[in-house]
Amino acid sequence: MNIKNVIIALVAVFSCTVCAQKSEYPIAAIAEELKDNANAVVRLEKTDINIASQRSMNVKTYRAITVLNQKGLSAVNGYENYDKTTTVKSIEAVVYDVFGNEIKRIKRKDFKDQSAAGEGTLFSDNRVLFLDYTPVNYPFTIVYQSEVATSNTAFIPKWYPVSEFYVSVEKSIFNISYPNNLGFKKKEINFSNFTIQKTTDTATQLSYSASNIPALKSEPYASQSLLFPRVMLGLEIFNLEGIDGNATSWIEFGKWWNSKILEGKNELSEETKNKMIALVGNEKDPIAKAKLIYNYVQQKVRYVSIQEGIGGWMPMSAKDVDRLGYGDCKALSNYTKALLEAVGVQSFYTKVYGDRYKIDIVSDFVSTQGNHIILAIPNGNNYTFLECTSQDDPFGYQANFTDDRDVLIIKPEGGEIVRTKNYEDNGNCQNSIGSYVLTEEGDLTGNIKMMSSGAQYGHKTNVEKLQPVEKEEHYKEYWDHINNLKIEKSSFSNDKEKIQFTENVQISAKNYGSVLNGKMMFVVNVYNLNSNSVKRVRNRKSPFEIQRGYLDTDEVNVALPKGYKIEFLPDNFELKGKFGECKTEVVKKEDGSLVYKRSLLVNKGVYSSAEYEDYRLFMEQISRNDNAKIILTKI
Amino acid sequence: MKLYSFKIVLVVFLIATSVKAQALKLDKVTVTELQAKKHSVDTSAAAAILYKKGRTFFTYNEKSGFVMNHEFTYRIKIYKKEGLNWANFEVPYYVGYENLNEENLRFHDAVTYNLEGGVIVKTKLGNEGIFKTKLNDNWKMAKLSMPNVKAGSIVEFSYLLKSENLGQFPVCDFQYTIPVNYAEYKTEIPEYYIYKTILKGYIDVKTESKMEQGSVNFDNQYGQTNTMTYKQISSSYIAKDIPALKEEEYVDNVKNYQCSLHNELERTRFPGQPVKDYAITWEGVAKTIFENKDFGKELEQKDFLINDVKLILNSEDSKEERLRKIFKFVQEKMNWNKDYGYYTDKGVVKAYQERTGNVAEINFILISMLRLAGINTDPVLLSTINNGVPVYPGRTVFNYVVAMADIDGQQVLLDATHKFTTQNVLPLNTLNWTGRLIQQDGTSKEVNLLPTMPSVLNCSVVVKVDDSGKITGNLRSRKTNYEAYSYRDKYAQANADNYIEKMENLYNGIEISNYEVKNKNADLLQPVDESFSFQSVNHTEIIGKEFFINPLLFFTTNRNPFFQENRKMPVYFGYPTQKKYTINIEIPEGFEVESIPKGINLSAGDGALVFKCILEKNQNRIQIAVQSELKKSIVSAEDYSMLKDFYQKIVDKQKEKIVLKKI
Repeated sequence: MNIKNVIIALVAVFSCTVCAQKSEYPIAAIAEELKDNANAVVRLEKTDINIASQRSMNVKTYRAITVLNQKGLSAVNGYENYDKTTTVKSIEAVVYDVFGNEIKRIKRKDFKDQSAAGEGTLFSDNRVLFLDYTPVNYPFTIVYQSEVATSNTAFIPKWYPVSEFYVSVEKSIFNISYPNNLGFKKKEINFSNFTIQKTTDTATQLSYSASNIPALKSEPYASQSLLFPRVMLGLEIFNLEGIDGNATSWIEFGKWWNSKILEGKNELSEETKNKMIALVGNEKDPIAKAKLIYNYVQQKVRYVSIQEGIGGWMPMSAKDVDRLGYGDCKALSNYTKALLEAVGVQSFYTKVYGDRYKIDIVSDFVSTQGNHIILAIPNGNNYTFLECTSQDDPFGYQANFTDDRDVLIIKPEGGEIVRTKNYEDNGNCQNSIGSYVLTEEGDLTGNIKMMSSGAQYGHKTNVEKLQPVEKEEHYKEYWDHINNLKIEKSSFSNDKEKIQFTENVQISAKNYGSVLNGKMMFVVNVYNLNSNSVKRVRNRKSPFEIQRGYLDTDEVNVALPKGYKIEFLPDNFELKGKFGECKTEVVKKEDGSLVYKRSLLVNKGVYSSAEYEDYRLFMEQISRNDNAKIILTKI
Repeated sequence: MKLYSFKIVLVVFLIATSVKAQALKLDKVTVTELQAKKHSVDTSAAAAILYKKGRTFFTYNEKSGFVMNHEFTYRIKIYKKEGLNWANFEVPYYVGYENLNEENLRFHDAVTYNLEGGVIVKTKLGNEGIFKTKLNDNWKMAKLSMPNVKAGSIVEFSYLLKSENLGQFPVCDFQYTIPVNYAEYKTEIPEYYIYKTILKGYIDVKTESKMEQGSVNFDNQYGQTNTMTYKQISSSYIAKDIPALKEEEYVDNVKNYQCSLHNELERTRFPGQPVKDYAITWEGVAKTIFENKDFGKELEQKDFLINDVKLILNSEDSKEERLRKIFKFVQEKMNWNKDYGYYTDKGVVKAYQERTGNVAEINFILISMLRLAGINTDPVLLSTINNGVPVYPGRTVFNYVVAMADIDGQQVLLDATHKFTTQNVLPLNTLNWTGRLIQQDGTSKEVNLLPTMPSVLNCSVVVKVDDSGKITGNLRSRKTNYEAYSYRDKYAQANADNYIEKMENLYNGIEISNYEVKNKNADLLQPVDESFSFQSVNHTEIIGKEFFINPLLFFTTNRNPFFQENRKMPVYFGYPTQKKYTINIEIPEGFEVESIPKGINLSAGDGALVFKCILEKNQNRIQIAVQSELKKSIVSAEDYSMLKDFYQKIVDKQKEKIVLKKI
């Protein structure tokens, strides 16, 4: 050991004794109620944001987290993203054992550095520095600290005192300071069920403090956005990737976006313009023209994600898309807009949260929001919205991704908040007509025609694209209650004009009816059995939500085998309630065959946690009735 | 890595003529190809590779010596929109060498062909569609997105990868998830390098090799162009009409069955230098690995462990006791950082200090401690299931190492990286056919990794049906070996409520109370014992005056897992199992048993699969005893239809119901 190492060793020993005296965050100090359902406990989280100017923001994070088990590891969130406008000034972590003794220091150089581009992204200049720590023991406590500087002030990190399910919070503090001339604003969301104090609120400073929040459990049919408290923050005078902006209203915001981000991106060659004019020919109606153009776009382009600098916000020019034939949602929407312009159809670039879960652009908080772009075409007093990244969606189809939510339409004269199309419960249909025949051995052959529309259309159309093996697998899963199922034939028709998808399927199943002691027994409902019952949840806490309702109707002819007589037919069934209604009946026909009729309507809605068990029982009764059997006796 | 960067000291012939490297020439794209709406054989294919041509050749420069060049050209036809993602392409390449220059990758000649008004229109891709991203310190990714592609288009592009790492070639795949019409790969290897060539998969690949005259040009330090000539081995590999690779269930790793070509450096022989072996036989592979300082040397370091071994053990401990104590100690002390490999990274000493390490570090510590305790223990190299089955010997085929202890002829496999493994119970991902045991003198032998001891699940249920059809009862179960391991791995750290909820839903909506589990993680050598009470209204069907009950209650299997009509790949189960269920049903008063299903005794594959079910009626009780055994970990593809039949019979049997009738 040379002299330098000795000194280092001495310093190490010395600093160890120092920290050993001051024990940090011993586990024993955690209150019992914060351990319930918790995989990790936030001991102290402190966020200090300092906005020095329109083009300068600094975010300091201090996060002390006790990780109780392996599943709590993700709550550490030991990472920072960076790119050309954002730098990580410091990042480090210290690990403490169960008693609060320091066991490891993790320096910046020990953090991993890697591209933050996700799967399917062609290019992104976003990178991430992240903590890669292997715990030696649970529980342990980790204190993570970072400082990040950015010139982007268009996004101020939201304050989430609770950031995950199964994580409790001892204390979370948030401070933000800002010049009084940048038009700072805030919006508090879901505060009511939590103890959160606003400790400062002046012209240049805002602070919050939250304490003792027990861990929340994740439950089916409930979303974080309905439950978790948070504060949105923003500036009226801001900078986005090097571009200054200011907006106090959506009108101003829209004007700014239009002139700084979209302007000049819509140019096209004369050749392309003429091609579009030729394409629409004598068509006068703007919607009819738009359909032709949309169809052209769907044939020509494909979605490829590219995120680079302001390019994360600014669309690739229409000319480039025209040449390359691909782009992301911004590029493809902007391109379609340019093509429409060429044939005199007005359309608007529209910011939206694209998600199966309905998320609104928060309309009373003017700021850069949304994660997706679609196109709005005025249609009477309303708008028709186009999903330009899809090569298959029918014109104007939005269900399951951008339906029924507030979006921001960017017009040259300013922005405007508009609600997108709501798909009504009884329009999300699956109407089935079919039949089946049973032999004396109980073997079944049958065929069914299922017509799906509304939101259900979107669930079904994918079947058409599956490989033969996958198709077979799909139906064997869809009808997994049919033993020995064989798919004899399947064919499809996709009517994009009516937005209706039709499946015609022929099936057979050996021994569908079980024959025992001269009797045959079989489930009368072959094609639409609700077996996926709603899961039981012990001590449910969160309200639940059915986001989209639906209506299924079935009419199936049943030809009974020869040499049997009916011993038992299921009773007619009717169930009505706030969640919807279900009706089934079996009708005897003169020729000895039967007709099975079923309808099930499920309503959308937001319900209290207490109503969840009622809903579960509602669905359970339906699935039990769906299993109703017919018994035949040999003559 | 220094190993493969050779500088050649050779007599160099000064010849001024330059020899042009052969370019990969393809036939012209035709109108017919562009008009094609579907693949001629596989009509459901969304896209197809019309051509894949590859060539590997060597160049030379004074600074680095020989450099490998891998050039590939693809021509891909897009039939359907779902195939459009084949117009995007990515190639990862390695840049994390310590002593070699970064690999370099360049796309070129990227063209899209379309048919417009009967005329072939070409769209060239400029740099705007080519991107390079640094993934992390070791890897970069080059990506390309072809222009103007729609259903019907044909895309074509090439890339050249230059690498100073002569240890292995990039794997050349002949088979993809879409059909390949024609694939050709040529290699031109100077006589100084001998590579082991490995061809995987079921596809017929035509192979030819010949000796030829080869040469490279290079500039010397004075800027003069020199030419070096030598003999080279030129090989070509050609395959035609290769069907798409399809995923199936119960497959260990679909890559094991994908047709692909691998080349690994086996030997170098330079004039005036002794021949140097890298890997030829399994023996040679093991020896090379053993001689690496991050393997053999690391295994010799054990002084730092002596004190702890003394602390853990008592002098009167038996060998079994010593093994048990040491394994538990290492398993609890060390924490796996999720890094694979059979070489140590930071070294065993540091890993021990920090209590974290990669696979090699943790299991080397285990081996050294066991050796100190007087138990004969050696490392076993293996390839994990995700890494694929090594078919031919090679250094690079392994990615994991475990320990094998020998106690008076009894062999015990051990892996201390995972928290719930135990003696002869390894992580499921390691149960991949065979491994290679390396003895202390550097010699080696093959060991079987597939478990032979059955993992047992015993379940007994006592249940009472009341006159409303509700059932109430108690369940007890015992799980051993891999059944216990799988349970512990998934649920030992789960919240009890969540686990119970999961069981309630899995068992068709029963309500569970009084749940107890013994030995969740206390003594891993002992079985996991669970018990609970339950009730349910979902398990009796009332039709008229009759009750219908599934004899196997919530254990009923409704679906045959093997639904495909044919199968090419062997069926992989992982480990043999022996499951027993005894169910005792008490019927309500005022009811009698109208009928019970007949028993069944099935066996298939020379007794490799057994299913027995016995039902007995005894006054107001029904006894059901089921025994289901699987004696093999792997069933061959030829036996698939037998397997499918076997499971179908089981599912059919389980559909038959007990019928109770009101008196």
